[in-house]
Amino acid sequence: MCGRIGVVCALLVLIFTAFAWRLIHLQILKHDYYQEIAANKNDSRKVIPARRGRILDRNGEELAVNIPVQMVYADGSHIHDPTALATLAAPFLEVPVKELTEKLTTKSKYVVIRKGVSEEKAQDMMRAIEKANLHGLYLQEGSVRSYPNGEMLCDVLGYVDHTGHGADGIEKTCDAALTGQEGFRMIEHDRKGREIVVYRGQEQSPENGSDIRLSIDMGLQAIAEREVDEAYKTNHPASATAILADPNTGEILALASRPNYDPNKFNEAKPEQMRNRAISDMYEPGSVFKIVVTSAAYNEGIVDDKTRIFCENGHFSYGGKIIKDHHGSGDLSIPEILMKSSNVGAAKISLRMKDQMFYDYVRKYGFGTRTGIPLPGEISGLVNPPHRWDMLTKTRMAFGQSISVTPIQMVMAMSAIANGGKLLKPKLVLSMGEGSNELQEPPVAQVVKSESANYIANALEKVVGNQGTAPLARIEGYRVAGKTGTAQKISPHGGYLEGRYIVSFAGFFPVNKPKIMGIVIVDDAKLGETANYGGSVAGPVFAKIGEKAARHLDMDPEAACSVSKQGSSTTAVSLR
Amino acid sequence: MSVNRRRTTNTIEVNFLARWLVIVFLIGLAGLFFVYLKNQQHAVGNQSRLIEAALREEEARDEALKAKITSMTSRGALQHRLDDGYITLQAIRDTAIARITPPAPAEVDGVLRTASRDPESRFGPGVPQRSVNR
Repeated sequence: MCGRIGVVCALLVLIFTAFAWRLIHLQILKHDYYQEIAANKNDSRKVIPARRGRILDRNGEELAVNIPVQMVYADGSHIHDPTALATLAAPFLEVPVKELTEKLTTKSKYVVIRKGVSEEKAQDMMRAIEKANLHGLYLQEGSVRSYPNGEMLCDVLGYVDHTGHGADGIEKTCDAALTGQEGFRMIEHDRKGREIVVYRGQEQSPENGSDIRLSIDMGLQAIAEREVDEAYKTNHPASATAILADPNTGEILALASRPNYDPNKFNEAKPEQMRNRAISDMYEPGSVFKIVVTSAAYNEGIVDDKTRIFCENGHFSYGGKIIKDHHGSGDLSIPEILMKSSNVGAAKISLRMKDQMFYDYVRKYGFGTRTGIPLPGEISGLVNPPHRWDMLTKTRMAFGQSISVTPIQMVMAMSAIANGGKLLKPKLVLSMGEGSNELQEPPVAQVVKSESANYIANALEKVVGNQGTAPLARIEGYRVAGKTGTAQKISPHGGYLEGRYIVSFAGFFPVNKPKIMGIVIVDDAKLGETANYGGSVAGPVFAKIGEKAARHLDMDPEAACSVSKQGSSTTAVSLR
Repeated sequence: MSVNRRRTTNTIEVNFLARWLVIVFLIGLAGLFFVYLKNQQHAVGNQSRLIEAALREEEARDEALKAKITSMTSRGALQHRLDDGYITLQAIRDTAIARITPPAPAEVDGVLRTASRDPESRFGPGVPQRSVNR
């Protein structure tokens, strides 16, 4: 009897020992192995996307926003009837049923079916799938970037590529701040692919990207865009650019150019349309550059307000070449040289300066160096050092030849004249994120003494007078100072292209307390040689922009400046 | 065969049995309660998942609508509408403009500025203020 009981007991002990061993084997020895299998089957890391920061203008107007969309993906291991699923989902995804069926016939756990599906359609599709008790299609949150103003300000804003990262403009430069940090959540799902909330694992919240506030004023931008567009349509140039800035802070208020593109459809744009001419095009500035030689010479005491320079009646032979003026003159003061835009006068002033001194001033004005505007693709222009100059180079540079600059460099140089001689770094981003302080950057350099800058500024006021080269650049009710530039286009084969010009006008107002600095550049307007001058093409565009900008900013007119433009048209032919 | 043989009986220890029955019952009850709680937890979890999804869906719809409003009221869109004649600009007569004197003190030159011409909203603090009357 005892023997039989003993055998039964021993058997039971053996059986339970085996069970216990198997339990230990499964739970302890093979724990990691089975956990991994379970994890592979049911666990996943769900990415929680971060919202890309918006881009706003200085008044909070939205320039770049996000539209939420869904990415539809398939988990092949959950699909039992690909044909039925494809037939149901195809109309929502706007994909042919056959093509979708092929994609859904997979065992892969992650197959991207369609990106950028609108929120509404995606949710409708999911409801239909759930109703039909089908499984295997899932949604992943995402967003597409939208630029509500379309083509307006495209050069500044840029665009984002298919990965959601900035590919041009501010979108590229400030990509890290705009992108933020995506979060994640470790989740476990059931056999239908639904998350089991109870088993939520580690979680990290996303950090949304910062909103970026630009210095751009969309009111001014709209004005600049409209006028540049009109000039582009009227004069049929290769390109037209306008920049407005605050000469006291270096803030860029508007930047418009033609041709341009719609960043919402950037893949349809031609490379020619996508070039930011304000920072990546260099051109010979022509007579606008005379502000450099005159201010430098005045600052060094080489010339003063009593200096008169004989301008050789418009024909100056130097270094075996003739330097010509559009209208010959005799003795001219510095303001008169600027007013009449005398090449001979500017060249003769440069000859009074040492090569190195002149070169140093050119560099101090920021030419030959990137301004540091936070936009990709800025070039530094071309300034040759004195040891590469020939006998003529200095005299040519004095009136804006043998040197290449970018429009933004010219804006900052002219701003230095407007603000008392301080060269500022162009400022485009006012703040990043809520509560961030506006950065106040110190001037890059004090280029000339404030007296010298003021002297040139007052001289430049005469340029828009009846005797000057740009009476059409006057703005009713405001004292305007500026300088015209008419430069022949450089031929790719050397020398200059006959009858083809890049004309410009750079100016600021009101002269005593400048608030707006602007430049208008029109490249190769189809007007014929006799009408294609800075004063007659770019000047009026500047005046129109300035007039509307003054109204937009509610600037008080100066009573002493109500000058009539009558008679200006008769002098148009002599503008240079 | 012995007649005085004592009859063997198996006594049932009721106390002992009752104690164990209660223990087993309680353990069973606890188990059932655990299962009930677990089910409740899953049900609540499922509810919160659905609410989260609904909330997210509403947020997304809200954002999509906001983006649509932004694009429809953007300067570019309004300019197109203006050009197409859908909207027109009406000049406001000077007599129809009410200029409100702000609580700010007069500027150095003694000129008061109107509330709509506060330069700080445009250029930020530190920028010279504009005077007003014309």
